[in-house]
Amino acid sequence: MKKDDLLNKDNLLQQGDTSKKAFTLKRKSGYWLGEFTVMASPCQILLDNLDEAKAYSLTAQAYAEAKRIELKYSRFRDDNIIARLNSSADETISVDEETTRLINLADLCFQLSDGLFDISSGVLGKLWHFKQQTQLPSDAGIKALLPNIGWQKANWNEPLLHLPKDMKIDLGGIGKEYAVDKVARLLQQQTDNAFLVNFGGDIYVNKSRCNGDAWQVAIENPQHLGESKLMVSLVQGGLASSGNSQRYIEVDGQRYSHILNPKTGYPITGGPAQVTVYAQNCVQAGMLATIALLQGEFAEDFLKAQDCRYWLSN
Amino acid sequence: MQLKGKTFTNISITLAAASCALAAPVTAQPSELGSWDVDAGLLIYAESDHQVQAYEGALSLTKQIDDERSINLKGIIDVLTGASPNGAVAQNKAQTFTRPSGNGSYITAASDTPLDDTFHDTRVALSTQYQQQLSRLWLYSGGAYLSKEYDYLALSINSALARDFNKRNTTASLGFAYAYDTIDPEGSIPNPGVSVDDPNNRLTDSDTKQTLDLLFGLTQVIDRQTLMQLNYSISDVNGYQTDPFKILSVVDSNGWANNYVYENRPDQRTKQSLFWRTKYNIQPSGQVLDVSYRYFWDDWGIASHTIDSKWRVQLSNQHFIEPHLRYYCQQAANFYRVYLDKGQPIPEYMTADYRLGELQTYTIGLKYGFPIAGNEFSVRLEYYLTQVSGDDGLAKGDGMAGLDIYPDKSAIMIQSFYRF
Amino acid sequence: MRRILLLASVLSLTACSSLGVTPWERDLLAKPEMQLADNPMEIGFDDHTYFSKEGSSGGGNFAGGGCGCN
Repeated sequence: MKKDDLLNKDNLLQQGDTSKKAFTLKRKSGYWLGEFTVMASPCQILLDNLDEAKAYSLTAQAYAEAKRIELKYSRFRDDNIIARLNSSADETISVDEETTRLINLADLCFQLSDGLFDISSGVLGKLWHFKQQTQLPSDAGIKALLPNIGWQKANWNEPLLHLPKDMKIDLGGIGKEYAVDKVARLLQQQTDNAFLVNFGGDIYVNKSRCNGDAWQVAIENPQHLGESKLMVSLVQGGLASSGNSQRYIEVDGQRYSHILNPKTGYPITGGPAQVTVYAQNCVQAGMLATIALLQGEFAEDFLKAQDCRYWLSN
Repeated sequence: MQLKGKTFTNISITLAAASCALAAPVTAQPSELGSWDVDAGLLIYAESDHQVQAYEGALSLTKQIDDERSINLKGIIDVLTGASPNGAVAQNKAQTFTRPSGNGSYITAASDTPLDDTFHDTRVALSTQYQQQLSRLWLYSGGAYLSKEYDYLALSINSALARDFNKRNTTASLGFAYAYDTIDPEGSIPNPGVSVDDPNNRLTDSDTKQTLDLLFGLTQVIDRQTLMQLNYSISDVNGYQTDPFKILSVVDSNGWANNYVYENRPDQRTKQSLFWRTKYNIQPSGQVLDVSYRYFWDDWGIASHTIDSKWRVQLSNQHFIEPHLRYYCQQAANFYRVYLDKGQPIPEYMTADYRLGELQTYTIGLKYGFPIAGNEFSVRLEYYLTQVSGDDGLAKGDGMAGLDIYPDKSAIMIQSFYRF
Repeated sequence: MRRILLLASVLSLTACSSLGVTPWERDLLAKPEMQLADNPMEIGFDDHTYFSKEGSSGGGNFAGGGCGCN
């Protein structure tokens, strides 16, 4: 079943724009570096101690899987399950196994964060688009959107999902970390060697490198992009960062993070600018980082109570 | 502005479980629910000098009934042939012994260790074991066992409970087992201490033995690479524990044996053992070192040390090798005698069975494994040497001059496994 | 000697609560070759052989099924 999916995606590779390669493979000292761009992020696969043919095959499969997830769950497309759900007018739709698991996770995070993590809050993105925005949206505009936000209003009885009219869901907060973990699982089934998957800062490593060293990862300082502040040694697990290093509004010298409070419609204030979490896998790390940021000034208190390592940047 | 912090609950465990489930393939378990896992094994054991040969075949079936329950069924057949020391001591003359059945006799040449070659037996054993996760932290395991050979029937049941602590880093377990064995030897139960030639050397046709076992276990994760296990067990055995086919030579002052009497072991035996095992995953190679030590002692005076070690080395293409080294040493039971002296009163308990004597054994082996049709197949070749020790001064007089009354024994073992 | 061994084992148990790994550090421990019961059939064969040829029994698990071999 899985193999067929991959074969179909291989065809896509060939049908795609042949002038621009889907991915590149470079030899570095001691490892292969596969790179591509998916989900609007620079993606890397680092493969330790493999031959070129295997590295090529694994990079191709990683690209295909990441692309598949992007196409299936991107909110910018009109031909996938997200589009179907978001255009459903009072319909109950039955979703597939993979989507069921993702919605279950989103539902769980909604409960565990007391409603702060909410996949229906994506519509606020119309007002807070964070791209060269120089003005804060109006109060009235925000208040108008609030009635359509609130996962508690959706009716989820797996695999059946009923969204109220005008509610839109967005799995962007889980998608990239999910892709990292899925690609990691895919690689683990085919090689016993060490690898590192990095999709725009969401990372998974499976084991230490063949010379015994850990993977060294630099975490960027959000205030001074390009200047890395922190070196982290990863041996096994997921690393994810949540924060405003790449997307933010700056108005009157004040940065507003892209983490929005679904209950108020406004960004979370106080707290660190960026949270990085190192945990068992990328999705777990990402959820802990996001939920931590949603706690605002209590982010560190929250993280201290969890089983993970974390780093905060202000 | 709040000055004090907020308290939060630990949600990372719940998140871990949910996030793991996300990326997992549809069936993450080794066996799909409802299908049987099969484990097949073969053992060939052969001692040097035409002694014991054993052939054993085993089939084990395990079914995962659902997420919490599993059941195992196992069947074993073994065939034993060849000759085994009967307990009499070697002599500088030929010796004649009557077969236990009373039909016929066999002759041992001068200077040879007397071996009884009437061992031809087939044994069938069946067992079942059931496991259930009672709750997130409690595990129950229970089973039954039956073994039947021509002259021996063994029945037993076992039950155990285990509980996890410390985020599943520690597991404590308590188990008990009860066994009821019946022995019905050919020629019936011999009268202990009575001469083999005595017409009144038989007692009843059969006798029984009961065993009660208690096992306390502790498993502890030490770190990411290391796992340890510590067990304490105590066993109480009551009933007939003598070997009805074994005898002792009664030897005169010049070392000549002119009489043989049946052995006798106590009716009661309490055994205890302490067992410590460590499994260590060597990084970055992934080789696994498995070392265990057991100290055993009982109220028959036997105390022993066992060190067992295996080292698994993964090769390319899913092949692996695993060298094996084992060392064992035991001190003799307090009623162990190489032979009895003529003129001395027959002791209440006595045995010349070398397996209760003072001995050291060495095992060296190599296992090689590779996939066949995607399933693991492995073959193991081992050399097993037993050295019996004792006072060489006991080889006295003309009867035993120049003889090795503690003969060593060596055996080759071939094992083969296939799991699918 | 035996009492000292037993006491040493019990004392070492009390230190156990500080040992261990977090759930995401169980990658190596989850591998089949790290399981205590990774080859029950091999353990069964060995236990049966040594029970028949030596004076001791048990340790890792119950003494196993009885038979007329000893």
